[in-house]
Amino acid sequence: MASVTAKPIDTTIEVPGKRTPLVTGAHDYGTVTDAVCRLAECKTPTAWYVALGISASLMGMLFGLIGYLIITGVGVWGNRSPVFWGWPIVNFVFWVGIGHAGTLISAILFLFRQNWRTGINRAAEAMTIFAVICAGVFPGIHIGRVWLAYWLFPIPNQMAMWPNFRSPLLWDVFAVSTYATVSLLFWYMGMIPDLATLRDRATGKIQQFAYGLFSLGWNGSSRHWHRYERAYLLLAALAAPLVLSVHTIVSFDFAVSQLPGWHTTIFPPYFVAGAVFSGFAMVLTLMIPARTICGIQDLLTDRHLENMTKVIIATGTMVGYAYAMEFFIAWYGGNRYETFAFINRAFGPYAWAYWIMVSCNVISPQLFWIKKIRTTPWMIFVVCVFVNIGMWFERFVITVTSLSRDFLPSSWGYFKPTIVDVLMLIGSFGLFMTLFLLFCKFLPMVAMAEVKSVMPRPGGKSDHH
Amino acid sequence: MATTIEQPVKTKAEPELLGLLAEFDDPNALIEASKKVRDAGYRKWDTHTPFPLHGIDEAMGIKWTILPWIVAACGLTGGTIAIGMQYWMNAVNYPFLISGKPLFSIPACIPITFELSVLLAAFGAFFGMLVLNQLPKLYNPLFKSEAFRRATNDRFFISMDAKDAKFSEIDSGEFLHSLNPIGVEEFWSDVESPKLPRNLKLALALVGVLLLMPPALVAYKRSTTTNSPRIHIVPDMDFQPKLKAQNTTNLFPDGREVRPNIKGTIPRGQFKDDNIPFYYGLKYLPEDQDVVVIALQDEKKTDAKKTEEKPPADPKADAAKTPAEKPADPAVDAAAAEASKLEKLPWVTEFPMPVTEKMMARGKERYRIYCSACHGLGGEGDGLVSLRAMDLQQGTWVKPASYHTDNVRKLPVGRLYHTITHGVRKMPAYGAQVPPEDRWAIVLYLRALQKSHEIDATTIPEAEKRKLRDTK
Repeated sequence: MASVTAKPIDTTIEVPGKRTPLVTGAHDYGTVTDAVCRLAECKTPTAWYVALGISASLMGMLFGLIGYLIITGVGVWGNRSPVFWGWPIVNFVFWVGIGHAGTLISAILFLFRQNWRTGINRAAEAMTIFAVICAGVFPGIHIGRVWLAYWLFPIPNQMAMWPNFRSPLLWDVFAVSTYATVSLLFWYMGMIPDLATLRDRATGKIQQFAYGLFSLGWNGSSRHWHRYERAYLLLAALAAPLVLSVHTIVSFDFAVSQLPGWHTTIFPPYFVAGAVFSGFAMVLTLMIPARTICGIQDLLTDRHLENMTKVIIATGTMVGYAYAMEFFIAWYGGNRYETFAFINRAFGPYAWAYWIMVSCNVISPQLFWIKKIRTTPWMIFVVCVFVNIGMWFERFVITVTSLSRDFLPSSWGYFKPTIVDVLMLIGSFGLFMTLFLLFCKFLPMVAMAEVKSVMPRPGGKSDHH
Repeated sequence: MATTIEQPVKTKAEPELLGLLAEFDDPNALIEASKKVRDAGYRKWDTHTPFPLHGIDEAMGIKWTILPWIVAACGLTGGTIAIGMQYWMNAVNYPFLISGKPLFSIPACIPITFELSVLLAAFGAFFGMLVLNQLPKLYNPLFKSEAFRRATNDRFFISMDAKDAKFSEIDSGEFLHSLNPIGVEEFWSDVESPKLPRNLKLALALVGVLLLMPPALVAYKRSTTTNSPRIHIVPDMDFQPKLKAQNTTNLFPDGREVRPNIKGTIPRGQFKDDNIPFYYGLKYLPEDQDVVVIALQDEKKTDAKKTEEKPPADPKADAAKTPAEKPADPAVDAAAAEASKLEKLPWVTEFPMPVTEKMMARGKERYRIYCSACHGLGGEGDGLVSLRAMDLQQGTWVKPASYHTDNVRKLPVGRLYHTITHGVRKMPAYGAQVPPEDRWAIVLYLRALQKSHEIDATTIPEAEKRKLRDTK
């Protein structure tokens, strides 16, 4: 059996009639626990402190800039007439898109019984939540008067007014906050048994208290597991359509308006495909270095990486199809403004951004058809970085090109970001990485209980379910 | 409990056997053992595994949970709340009319209804699971067992509760040993119930008091009044560095923040120069155009000054005086100068439009609405407002002039029109309220009133005479 051979096996080769093991190396239940808990229990490597220091400084810079923005006003950004949705909205859509992979992996792959998800789901869900936090920052500060952010919610107020429920922007508030809440519940619930593992292994008083508190007294009772599994399945079933709804509603922010280049019905599926695409790319970008540093290659095998690259090829091709279809409809629809908007995108003043987007999003993922690239971690990493860049540019192209040149040539303009725009984007990566590093250090990075449940049982009985 | 009667002297200090714990290192062995425990008829027992073990539910005879029903109920509640909220907020409590679309329509409700259904269903799944599992439960006697720590790692346990009807310390222990576990151990209640740290209550009370302070402060401030201006924590746009009317500035040589119109500005809807007689009551505009308006404003100013300067010592006499009788002071001189300026203007003497019966009827109607309150129905200056003002004897009232004096009779129609438009003395300007056509109609009616007071009876047409003779 795979679990008892010490010989490293190539998990990317299909052997007919045999299931490829999801855990390689000579692992049993105990060693899986040891491998996952190692980082939380042993002495923290210096590299972690260095990385945290850099990320936390960038995060500090982000918060400093937010303070500067609040005190000064949104004029510190490059948002000027006619482009009032500049980088803040680009960054919002970018981060929300990234936040789609985690719940997709946890929920949809769970419903499809893709057992390989167990190796990556925890980290991907964590990444989702951190990305949604980064995403939430931008519309929050983009409203200008941050102290009135509660106007976004239907809270009784002194003006005796209610929000307009027919506005996609309000749908967005509900969609993103529901998604953040449900993702958090899903992530936390999945983590309860693993937190209990950390609690039972902890030696320090503080660790025992903290893990003890957050594991809620989990004792592994089978009667508890029964309800827990039902709850997990139900949450997965609820989260699966939720994942699809969130970026659909984000796309409504654009598609429900009448601006040429935004007012298209392809936006919802196109945005969802793009979100999954960028999310998987970000998972791979994070997990390829993380699995080496944390020493969990046995749980997060090359096979896992390869499976994710296949999702990237699929969604990347969908995104490419959407780009082509947008052009076709712009011509076929016969609307001259629409036609102009798309010609302007590809050959206008933002052509450079458009072609960066196309080469990163459409061309680079096609490299994954080559098996060598698909199975070499550093090559996957490079392609995924390009995909991330491309997906940021996609949102930039959609937002800025359409706004900068709409119906009235006299009000055309060219958007230029300020240094604050640039530093805030960098700072949001600092926030993201800080949270991710804290997660790697203090929480179980791999869903131990789930990995154990897909491992072959000792005694040769395989656990089909 | 039956045991309480048999052992009444049992002290609390004595530990109580809570149950037995059997440890296995193989999940398959656990499942086999579980079947035996189930078949032996035990009810209060459980197994503990580091991961959800498939096949254990049947082996233990675990019934299906009701959790899906809880989730469904929560989801439906969420959807209902969402639809109800959107309907009530946007169609009932604060109707939001946008481009004539219906106040409430299902398609626009779908996204939020979906989101709230999912949100509440997810809460139902998560919290329902916790409640059914009786979690969080941070204290559990099993946790005292050193071996049990591996229940979340790589070992498998059967725990048997001493409260089970079939449980007996010796028989159950032997039974568990017969299942071939790695080991069996007992777990006991604590000898002493753990005590809270001594200072905890004090600390909690202190935190509670501290937490109460902000709301108490807010409640105090809300229930008391203060004379100091509000604190602008968030300045919003309360203080803007911009120029406003009535303020002074160094920016312009005249020191005024509000800027006068540039010479020749024509406000929208105010183009009048193509029909000067109609709009101004003048044959042509004099070179000094400002005189047309400013003269009257100045007169008003002097009027106000007069009120300030004069102590109300002799209000009756003052009120009775007409402007012409006023004692000479610089302000009045200025007013007189302006009046003479006005006299010299080229007033029209004929109506700048055909005079019709309809116009007369309109003039009568408008006169009764706007003018008669002061001037009286007959134009003698005895309207109710004027009478009342005279009664009050405030000394600030100037009685409206009667139309039936030679002075007024001689005024050209253009001048009368001008007076209605811009006012005179206490009379305010009616230009903003009464359109030019109506002002001319009023002038026409005014002329008719004047004529009615000085007419020679013999010149009345025969038909009218007959009406006058008619006594019915």
